[in-house]
Amino acid sequence: MIPEIGHIFLISAMVFAFAGGVFPAVGIFKKNAFLISAYKPLIISTSIFALLSFLMLVYSFSKDDFSLLYIATNSNTNLPFYYKLAATWGAHEGSLLLWISVLCLWSLAYFFKTRQEEDKYRCLTFVVLSQIIFSFISFTIFTSNPFERILPISPVQGVELNPLLQDFAFTIHPPLLYAGYSGLSIPFAIVISALLTNSNKSIWARQARSWTLLSCSFLTLGICLGSWWAYYELGWGGWWFWDPVENVAFVPWLISVALFHSLLVTDKRGFFINWSILLTIMAFASCLLGTFLVRSGILTSVHSFALDPERGVYLLIIFGYFIFSSLTIYALKSKARESNQSYSLYSKEFGLLLNNLLLVILALSILFGTFFPLIYEGVTNGKQISVGAPYYEILILPFAAGLALLQGLALFLGWNATEDQSFIKRILIETTVIFIVYNILVYVFLGEITAGAFVSGLMFCWIVAGNLIDSFVLNLKSSHLYKAIIRRFSLILSHTGTAVLILGVGIVSSYSLENEIKLSKGEVYSFGEYQLSFEDISMFNKKNYESEMAIIGVTDMAGRKMAPMFTEKRFYPSAKQVTSEAAIKSTIFHDLYVTLGDDLGKGDWSFRIQIKPFVRWIWFGAIMIALGTCLASLTSMKRKE
Amino acid sequence: MNPLRKQRIYALVSIFVGTLIALFLILNALSRNIDLFYTPTQFQESELGSGVLVRLGGMVEEGSLVRKSQSLEVSFVITDFNHSIKINYSGILPNLFSENTGVVVKGSLDEKENFQAVEVLAKHDENYMPPEVSKALKIRK
Repeated sequence: MIPEIGHIFLISAMVFAFAGGVFPAVGIFKKNAFLISAYKPLIISTSIFALLSFLMLVYSFSKDDFSLLYIATNSNTNLPFYYKLAATWGAHEGSLLLWISVLCLWSLAYFFKTRQEEDKYRCLTFVVLSQIIFSFISFTIFTSNPFERILPISPVQGVELNPLLQDFAFTIHPPLLYAGYSGLSIPFAIVISALLTNSNKSIWARQARSWTLLSCSFLTLGICLGSWWAYYELGWGGWWFWDPVENVAFVPWLISVALFHSLLVTDKRGFFINWSILLTIMAFASCLLGTFLVRSGILTSVHSFALDPERGVYLLIIFGYFIFSSLTIYALKSKARESNQSYSLYSKEFGLLLNNLLLVILALSILFGTFFPLIYEGVTNGKQISVGAPYYEILILPFAAGLALLQGLALFLGWNATEDQSFIKRILIETTVIFIVYNILVYVFLGEITAGAFVSGLMFCWIVAGNLIDSFVLNLKSSHLYKAIIRRFSLILSHTGTAVLILGVGIVSSYSLENEIKLSKGEVYSFGEYQLSFEDISMFNKKNYESEMAIIGVTDMAGRKMAPMFTEKRFYPSAKQVTSEAAIKSTIFHDLYVTLGDDLGKGDWSFRIQIKPFVRWIWFGAIMIALGTCLASLTSMKRKE
Repeated sequence: MNPLRKQRIYALVSIFVGTLIALFLILNALSRNIDLFYTPTQFQESELGSGVLVRLGGMVEEGSLVRKSQSLEVSFVITDFNHSIKINYSGILPNLFSENTGVVVKGSLDEKENFQAVEVLAKHDENYMPPEVSKALKIRK
């Protein structure tokens, strides 16, 4: 019964969303105050019904209702309770419902945050949001209904949630990522409504900026968690694979970063108005594109959901509708006059222009690499290729360098023109000093200075000097130090976060040690600064899997015995799948990473052992960026003028 | 020329040059990092020389997995049910690797015409088959 109620709720939400996407708009056109004000109850009931429907699905999962096809294929009575709940978004149908629910939460948040806004503008924002919600709910109901029953005979046991997804990071990775993805609908709705009502840029640009910052923060966390999950769960020790689906999450991230920088100029100075509008549309388009790519199965990826061409077509229609109509509205309605003032080359405006240029070109070229196999297949009549990771690695370097250069200057460039240019000399000196110290440290602790460490270290030092060190140097004696940092705290935090991330990437990609070895019981292997000994291996039977667990004794350089490491190979009978559980011993400066390989017979096992220096810095940097953007969003939402 | 216009021209020219450089870098990077994908049949027809890095996809033939004792070297045969190719690999196979499932291997022929894989990929889902493989299998049918 519960699933039927959930289904009915979802249908009701769809009807309300349809009404909310049409009638208030008609009301504005006909100047009918009643229809206009109808948007309030409509968006609220849409959201509530959609959220309730989602909860019904979660409830059915918790009760093991295997008469639902979706639950039967993704859950199992032996699954721990917590994962049963998380299994709700473990596959296509449920994750789509999660997407919708998160968007509804965003809409509600926006609704309560903007109570004092003018009615017409606010109304149109919700018309756009309702249309987005409607298209996704109808997509869910017509092509991927999670409430579909298996009747008349339902199975007594379900298949199982993909074992790789039975993991804590996975359970929060999709909600965060979707919060980032769907959050970009809010600036999109704001911008479309602003275009239609010719509203003042000072209102919409600031609003759009706060909401973009917030979704970007979620997107950063979501991507970061995904990367962390891949690192420890896949057993390869990789943290980024340039997989098509990673790319289509990275592209909206880059564009949203470009967007909130550009909106800053629009808000403060009145430049880049058209560009900001287009960028908002682009950001939303890239999210839809991401959804489309993941769910249509046209790209080869580890994230692929089951293939279904019908879904692809439906999503393409949704994509086409929003992009075509928003661009049409832009073409017809954009009367924005850029400010007539000019700005010099040494100004914040120009710096942010370059920032946008770099970010957008980078985003487009990543997208190009992602789509190139498809284009190639089309042009060459079915020849298949893939674009390797080195493409992206070569590509990203010059862009990262350019962006890092700009980041170092971010605090000093002034609007319109930069009067005091003495800072350049100062940060050059500061960079040189800490870069020398850095190189000495690298040489002492890591043994050699590789190109990767050199380049990423240079970027790190430059950004840190510009954002952090200089504030200290300048204000050390005065009482302003604290104020100087607090005032720009979010900016300093996220820019320094980028520096930390860059350093992590540079070091982990050039100093990682990896070896695949055979060990027999009792054998000792020395690796890096560690002595590893294969002590024992034994079988365990757990609730929903069988595990072979190897115990590895670790001794460090000084001969001190450290806590042993446990690495497992698990077999999940209902999914017929094997997963590895890596054993990771982490410190701030490196991770020791051991994965159990195959049984080679006669008590011998293969192991993959790795040392990953500075790998934690990557996620730590990402978390700093997420915190920084979140903080920036909250402060800009609070500030009223 | 007034200074404002001059500045704008500088800006435009630098943007243009920047874009050109970016485009050059992109295409250059792309052309050097494309891996061609073959099915065993296509691979045999193409008669590639040794050393050319390609990706090869197919099903792992049942009973073909052989482990050299006391080492990490393995060999197995992948097939599209038309042709098959023996693959040599040294290292740990992915967890999802098993006989009768689709895999993609990356590698090249050595001088003795043996295919040496540097990377073996099997995908997450037990029912998942790389689209290239399932397409190739479909064409055969």
